[in-house]
Amino acid sequence: MTIRLDHIYKSFGPVPVLKDIHLEFPEKAFVTLVGPSGCGKTTLLRILAGLESATSGAIWHGKEKVSDLAPGKRDVAMVFQSYALYPHMDVRANIGYGLKVRGVPREELDRRVREVARVLEIEHLLGRKPRQLSGGQRQRVALGRAMVRKPWLFLMDEPLSNLDAKLRVTMRGELKRFHLRLEATTVYVTHDQLEAMTMSDLIAVMEHGVVQQYATPAEIYNRPANTFVAGFIGSPPMNFIEGARIGGGEVSIRAGEQVAAVAASAVASGADRVVRLGVRPQDVRLDTSEGASVPGEVTLVQLVGSEKLVDLDLGGGVRVTAEVKAELAVEQGARVRVSFDPAKLHLFDLESGRNLAFVAERA
Amino acid sequence: MSELGVVRRVLAYLVLLAVTFLICFPLIWAFSTSIKGPKEVMATPPRLIPTEATAANYRNLITGKEQYFRADQAYVPTTAAPQHFIAWFTNSLIVSGSSTLISIVISTLAAYSITRFRYWGRRIIPYFSLLGYMIPSIILVFPLFLVMAQLSLTNSLWSLTFGYVSITLPFSMWLLWAFFRGIPIELEEAAMIDGASRLRVFVDIVLPSALPGIIAAAIFSLIVSWNDFLFARVFINSIENLPLTVGVMHFFEGVHVDWGLMMASAVLMTVPMAILFMLMQRHLVAGFGAGAVKG
Repeated sequence: MTIRLDHIYKSFGPVPVLKDIHLEFPEKAFVTLVGPSGCGKTTLLRILAGLESATSGAIWHGKEKVSDLAPGKRDVAMVFQSYALYPHMDVRANIGYGLKVRGVPREELDRRVREVARVLEIEHLLGRKPRQLSGGQRQRVALGRAMVRKPWLFLMDEPLSNLDAKLRVTMRGELKRFHLRLEATTVYVTHDQLEAMTMSDLIAVMEHGVVQQYATPAEIYNRPANTFVAGFIGSPPMNFIEGARIGGGEVSIRAGEQVAAVAASAVASGADRVVRLGVRPQDVRLDTSEGASVPGEVTLVQLVGSEKLVDLDLGGGVRVTAEVKAELAVEQGARVRVSFDPAKLHLFDLESGRNLAFVAERA
Repeated sequence: MSELGVVRRVLAYLVLLAVTFLICFPLIWAFSTSIKGPKEVMATPPRLIPTEATAANYRNLITGKEQYFRADQAYVPTTAAPQHFIAWFTNSLIVSGSSTLISIVISTLAAYSITRFRYWGRRIIPYFSLLGYMIPSIILVFPLFLVMAQLSLTNSLWSLTFGYVSITLPFSMWLLWAFFRGIPIELEEAAMIDGASRLRVFVDIVLPSALPGIIAAAIFSLIVSWNDFLFARVFINSIENLPLTVGVMHFFEGVHVDWGLMMASAVLMTVPMAILFMLMQRHLVAGFGAGAVKG
């Protein structure tokens, strides 16, 4: 059954935190709410859990309205950022607490706790207290506590943010595997766009309590709805160039005194217009002899494994970052020619910041 | 370890031993006096270890009868009333036990309510309560006496129980308020999502997590009520209703003081508290909840 968030509003006193959240989560989907701190993603998750009530709006699970139910009656499970393991209970009691509260008979409780512990490979830890566990082990116990009840909805509030970088990558894969195995709808909150991109079926990008875009990772990456989404998703972040002009079959930018064409435009149709140009570092080309290009100076080169990040000054305050193959010989201070992949340019309205491709579609 | 290190360590232990002895000396002296006969109590020069130890003082207190210490010693009239000792001891136990219980139940619930529910004034209550605790007992005792008189509770153990609750409750509440604030709310939320009711969450999750704080508050309440002199002196006027602190005063009479009985009482008064501390020490150790959240 799908889960539907029906025009959710939430205010804390006079401060609005969520504005008109209207989303649908397909059954068994892995949905990520992503956005910077304070964008309202955790509040939305807490409303789903029943820990906060919405100021207005409702949550539907199929045809059942669940937003009036107390947290314990919703039969959802949540993994907290801090794990929130009960400190005085051992791992067995932590995992089994939800079943105990629901009056599950002892033998069945034991069986289910052991089963979950086996899946999570924490059988040897069942007798330990949370303080005797490492970060990764606590994470698994928290997952076990959520899994054991077989809920219809998993809520995860930045569950990987307390782990070190290496463990985070491992657990990311594991979480995804668990999701595929459990086949329960999962709503995952993170501020890490990489987590969102790698794990999700659908991503809702949030800012200031508003969903800026809700789509698949590929759609969000390739066709960001506005400058916020474009800048937030993707690493290193998208380059923005103010005041680029489209028209005459070209995209040109003003760099210093000169106006230079940077790409033969595939999107430049209709009348001349001044836009905010967005181009991902992966789509910036160096050293090209053909087509439109603009001279630039290399100000910084950073090697990041198989790629190099090259900061370029195109003059007149226009700076862009390019991501190029590590083998490409380029040094700080070098003069190069720069062009952009015409098929991968993003054009945004100067005032509203909206992607012009979307505006054109709607018109 | 280097030679200098050894010397330092020995010196440190010597200093610690000296300080420990200084702290323990009154108790050691009280015990020594309590097992001396009446003559040796006042002997000059005083002796720490009695030439002849006797349990007579303890026997007298517990049986409530006056007995001669030795046939060959002159009769020393014990003008005090050892026959009341057991009653005083029981009174002290009842009053401090009941006031601690009431104080802990109320302060635990109050502190939880202040930290977890939203209502007007909840932020200032802890500070006011601490302010209330700062008012000296001597200022509180007479208004409280008038209240007790109005309620016809003077000269009863209830007056002491309520009196002690009035001085221990604010501090206990403040202490537990600080403690509850340190318990991550996610623990409770996790239990609620697990299906527990608010009451069940309180019993299963909050109370065990707050146990060190509750024990600390209980010990504080016990010490205050067990050691109180002022309230008992003002509220109680019949000898059989007195707690120990005021009761032992009856071992002073005119110029005569029965130091033996007095010191035996002091030792017996200290023993329950000392045992309690030893039993509770484990729970008082901080860091009970460490590892519950984050890594």
